[in-house]
Amino acid sequence: MFLNRSEGLALALPAALFTFLVFLVPVGILLSVAFQAEPGVWSLRGYVDFFSQPLNRTVFLRTLKLGILVAGTSAVIGYLAAFCIVNLPATSRGSIFGLVVLPLMISPVARTYAWIVILGRTGIVNDTIVGLGLSNTPIRLLFTETAVFVGLLQLFLPLMIISLVSAMENIPKDVVPAARVLGASWFQVFFRVILPLTKEGLVIGGTLVFTGALTAYITPAILGGSKVLMLETLLYQKVNVSNDFVSASVIAMILIVMCFSANLVLKRIASVRS
Amino acid sequence: MSRLTIWVILGVTLTFLIGPFLIVIFAGMSAGEALAFPPQGLSLKWYAKVFTVESFRASFALSLFLAIFGTLAALAIGIPAAYALNRYDLPGAEMIRTIVAAPIIVPGIIVGLALLRYFVVPLDVTITMALFVTHAALVLPYAVRVVSSSLNNLRSDMEEAAVILGCTRFQAFTKVVLPNIRGGILAAFILGFVTSFNEVPASLFLSGPGVRTLPIDMLSYMEITFDPSVAALSALLAFMSVAIVFIAERLLGFSRYV
Repeated sequence: MFLNRSEGLALALPAALFTFLVFLVPVGILLSVAFQAEPGVWSLRGYVDFFSQPLNRTVFLRTLKLGILVAGTSAVIGYLAAFCIVNLPATSRGSIFGLVVLPLMISPVARTYAWIVILGRTGIVNDTIVGLGLSNTPIRLLFTETAVFVGLLQLFLPLMIISLVSAMENIPKDVVPAARVLGASWFQVFFRVILPLTKEGLVIGGTLVFTGALTAYITPAILGGSKVLMLETLLYQKVNVSNDFVSASVIAMILIVMCFSANLVLKRIASVRS
Repeated sequence: MSRLTIWVILGVTLTFLIGPFLIVIFAGMSAGEALAFPPQGLSLKWYAKVFTVESFRASFALSLFLAIFGTLAALAIGIPAAYALNRYDLPGAEMIRTIVAAPIIVPGIIVGLALLRYFVVPLDVTITMALFVTHAALVLPYAVRVVSSSLNNLRSDMEEAAVILGCTRFQAFTKVVLPNIRGGILAAFILGFVTSFNEVPASLFLSGPGVRTLPIDMLSYMEITFDPSVAALSALLAFMSVAIVFIAERLLGFSRYV
């Protein structure tokens, strides 16, 4: 530890100043616009106006719903997959874990694009449905909430699995067999042994997936289009289609508040349970 | 759980995560004109076509420029900051950490809009410059974090020894610290490169006519045209990212740092 404080400050200041000036100041001004429906007058009118429109309310609730659904589903799949991964022999564990991490390196545009090939009018699913005679014409699968849900789940599931695997690696090896020997059902093993011991990983994974799903742009843009708007795509429309900057700032504020409260709520849950 | 159950669960999960991507690779190999799977005959013509599309070449060059120089700029200010936060007893260290980490927490689309309205327009910054600054700001948190964790593992008494033996503080940094955190810096560069190259939301509002990053160019291309070239390009980009990370992992154990 060096004691020359001014030297240390001089080293840290360029980065802090850079982020402050080109990042925090513009974002701060943008958020303050949400409270100025008329320039210069501070009020909550922007919010009242925003939520008075049924479309905006629908989009808000849909974003919240999809965020919770994606986080919940990825927790269920994540626990199953993570439990399997930590029980693999050491030789195959590394490569399987690598395959889980791999998608994170690939551009989200490419990963989302795959679902067009699968769910499109002439995609695999529709070809199968028409081929089997279940329907005469292709069904609309793209631009539905389901499509957005599946796309988001595929995008963020790896984050949940990674968090849960690293949490489970810290559970002593013989705890689960011990519980089984002592007569616990798998259900009890999960809720009374595994869950309490991995809740930190669940909280980290849950926060990452939930906030990721709330703030994803590419997936709702490609798979939802203007039929299934989420807050991010709605924000884009407010700016580029209707030039409504107050609503755009309100959405920005809502997104930031949702992300921060997700952090707080999940941390709270984790500490209450212990 | 039996072996069989374990492999069934993992098989299903991995198919869901990676399967769609294999489909994209094959859809790009189509010999036909429309995007379809299974492809109508096999050929590499779409993979070849990607290289002849003028806008893809321009946007690829821009994305490459941003990923390389944006990350280098972030490292140039991030390494000293990480060093100061690790080795000095700074007043307000916690606040500096929070400020520098902020770009990760704020959703990208908000960053893009804020910078467009309150940085680019009032200061009359060019689009390329605006994208450069944004990408540098977005990569900076990763640069600081990865370099910090690598500095954490380096005992500070080595530098103190160097200073006692007659080095100036600057020499101690360049001769003792830098060579020892080389791996961390390289890992930070790769992580920053991949992050910047794949970035979409923040660049969305900042991209202007003719100046677009590659992922955004792909998004607008697929709105107009429905041919397999985006599939081919997606596959090529994925190979690029995976190859970079794979080589990095082999050479320096990339995952230790991230």
